[in-house]
Amino acid sequence: MRGLQKKIAGHLLGLIATILIGGFLSASLVRLAPGFEVDERELDPHLSAQSLQALRDSRRQDENIFHFYLHYLSQAARGDFGKSVALGQPVRTLLRDRAPLTMRLIAIGLTLSWSLTVTFALSAAWLRLSIYDTATTMLSGVFLCIPAAVLALLSVLWNVPGSLAIALIVFPGTYRYTRNLSLKAYAQPHILAARAKGLSEARILFWHVVPVVAPQLLAVAGVSVSMAIGATIPVEALCGFAGIGQLAWQAAMARDLPLLVNITVLVTLVTLLANSGADVIGSVIRGQEA
Amino acid sequence: MKRHNRQFRCPALSAPTAKALAVLVFCLVSICTRSLAQGGGLRFCLHAEPKTFDPLKVDDDASGAIRYLTGGVLVRENRQTQQLEPGLALSWKVSSDGREISFRLRSGVSFSDGTPFSAEDVAYTVQQLMDPALHSPTGDVFRSGAGSVETKVISQTQISIRFPAPVAGLAALFDQVAIMSVRSPKKEMAVLGPFMVGDYKPGSSVVLNRNPYYWKTDAQGRKLPYLDSIHLDIQPNRDVELLRFKREELDLINSLDSEYFDKVSASSPQVVHDAGPSLDSEQLWFNQVAKAPIPGYKRNWFRSTAFRRAISQAINRDDLSRVVYHGHAQPALGPFSPANKFWFNANLKPQIYSPETALKALQGEGFRMENGTLKDKEGNEVVFSIITNAGNKQREHMAVLIQDDLQKIGIHVNVVTLDFPSLIERMTQTFDYEAIILGLTNVDLDPNNEMNVWLSSSENHQWNPSQKTPETEWEAEIDRLMREQASAADLNKRKEAFDRVQEIVAEQQPFIFLINKNALSAVSTSVRGAAPVILWPQTYWNAESLMVAGK
Repeated sequence: MRGLQKKIAGHLLGLIATILIGGFLSASLVRLAPGFEVDERELDPHLSAQSLQALRDSRRQDENIFHFYLHYLSQAARGDFGKSVALGQPVRTLLRDRAPLTMRLIAIGLTLSWSLTVTFALSAAWLRLSIYDTATTMLSGVFLCIPAAVLALLSVLWNVPGSLAIALIVFPGTYRYTRNLSLKAYAQPHILAARAKGLSEARILFWHVVPVVAPQLLAVAGVSVSMAIGATIPVEALCGFAGIGQLAWQAAMARDLPLLVNITVLVTLVTLLANSGADVIGSVIRGQEA
Repeated sequence: MKRHNRQFRCPALSAPTAKALAVLVFCLVSICTRSLAQGGGLRFCLHAEPKTFDPLKVDDDASGAIRYLTGGVLVRENRQTQQLEPGLALSWKVSSDGREISFRLRSGVSFSDGTPFSAEDVAYTVQQLMDPALHSPTGDVFRSGAGSVETKVISQTQISIRFPAPVAGLAALFDQVAIMSVRSPKKEMAVLGPFMVGDYKPGSSVVLNRNPYYWKTDAQGRKLPYLDSIHLDIQPNRDVELLRFKREELDLINSLDSEYFDKVSASSPQVVHDAGPSLDSEQLWFNQVAKAPIPGYKRNWFRSTAFRRAISQAINRDDLSRVVYHGHAQPALGPFSPANKFWFNANLKPQIYSPETALKALQGEGFRMENGTLKDKEGNEVVFSIITNAGNKQREHMAVLIQDDLQKIGIHVNVVTLDFPSLIERMTQTFDYEAIILGLTNVDLDPNNEMNVWLSSSENHQWNPSQKTPETEWEAEIDRLMREQASAADLNKRKEAFDRVQEIVAEQQPFIFLINKNALSAVSTSVRGAAPVILWPQTYWNAESLMVAGK
């Protein structure tokens, strides 16, 4: 128990440090990106010299990255995440409005992806048919080769849900690892012995295979969350879904510093929580087994 | 052959059943009549999130579209005739010195929440608009001199507005000024236009409902607008917009590019509309900025009128139109396209494509051809790069065609694409470029709105901005003429001055105008009353008179 508490505390410290560093790196990259100090509106011939200057001054407020980041952190501590430069709305509102769609896409995408993964991987390990194994491996290889943007465009063209595109983007990554784990588990001597004794496949699966592969699969599950988050950017941008992925794309195009920093922090937080959560649960399972 | 005569007998209806049927029939008839009388819901896309619903702060297309559909204006520029028409003002008069405008307003008009409209609302709107701290592009076009704007409410239906200096084309500028209520608790959400914002889902859609208090009626005395609602989907992806239009989920596409136009035209020629050359132009210009980080000899080429004219002559604009725009564009003659009926200078001559003449002109300036490569007097190879914004297929394609054209006179061109912020940074801050291809989206007919492009002191004088004093005689002349047209009250004198500006630009080629794109749009056959035009907003400029059948 004490070990577990230590582990959780360690994860929390790591999480805070990573978020702080990640946010700062993101801010620095945006600040150094070409075109940071300019605004498309500068080309509007209607603007007077004074308005143009005001526009430029507002952009230059964030010129000093250390000043910006410290100011951002102090404001964020009070629940104020700043205002989007490009969209002119509070970042908090933008994220709050768009998070449900992205969370739904990710949840459905991951459910579909893991359903496909578990079905194909376990059936491949259970059937032990080389043709079937080759076919499923090739299928995952095909999806691995197709760029995420192409899968997103196909989903638009064929009018299929964007969550399916996310599932197919994540699937190759999870499938290969799960398949290898399952094959390894099924090849263990005690499972061969159980089969020889005539134990049912269901009993073998749930009593002997799942406990062996579960901790490692949990780690893959944690990674798959970050893969799904990454996939939302092309999917939402190309399918026209008003989620955080689309917002990230728009923010990057507009060099929207406050928005990009917040999205980076949010994505880092979710990714780390998913991975740390998987790690802690895995430790608990391993502890119980021991 | 046996013939069966069947007799049908209507079963006797009980009184309650008959009454119920009668009520049902009445309801159905009422519903049908109502849908015909009003006109259903129109659905189309905005390509970005609207930044504001405050009409005075509008500085983006999406917010502009909402302002157009919801805002009530004193004077409306008819997008078809290009003439001013009375809106909330029954009549108006501009003083002889061009500094004052008086309006006589409609009476009995109310905002969408029922608040009565009066001259005080106009005064309030103008005062808000001219607040220097607002930095409103709509307000900035009224700023012709230092000092404050005075509003004088004469009565509930009469007001005069006095500006510190003459404002050219004053009445037409009010086409963009949506009047706000001074009293309504709903502030900017209380509107005087045909529609009002009903629902807004950030990132997803804006629903506009018909304004029940809208003042306008049709020729038969029926209240406008006919449409019950307009559903604006926020959809940045043009491919998705096109797909949704093909699936009949959208009723119109306001602005199509030529490639999509041909795709839609192939399957449904009845829905696409080519209204002819628009006001938009595409142009190439060279960097003439003295402090630009480019070699001095290149700056000398770019500052040479003969060099710029030769380049212009060596570009085959017909090819640009035919190949890049599939014929849906016209070679451009100058700053204004022929679509601008009043201000276009009809005496401008088209640029004749002639690489031979271009080469001769360059040789006359000391350039020489060596082994297929053009060299200047000092022996420097004539090589430069053209930058344009990545992702704009037409501009990228034009740059490649220009590269081919100039190769014929021994000039080697490198085409570089940059994302838009990087391009703007080079263009406006670092001046680290040699030539640019970019477009000018023109929504105004009056040249006065382009003062910041043509005045040499302006930051938007793109080939050489922010000059303390004009660096060339012809720029000094353009400055003088632009100021002259801005201060003249006589429209013909203004036209004369701007005609001369167009001639100077054609002679000097600071902007090498390439083409004027046609105004392309798609409107579903279910939309009644649509008459796409070249001026923005091409398809829904008469939204109050549109109907959607079968919805």
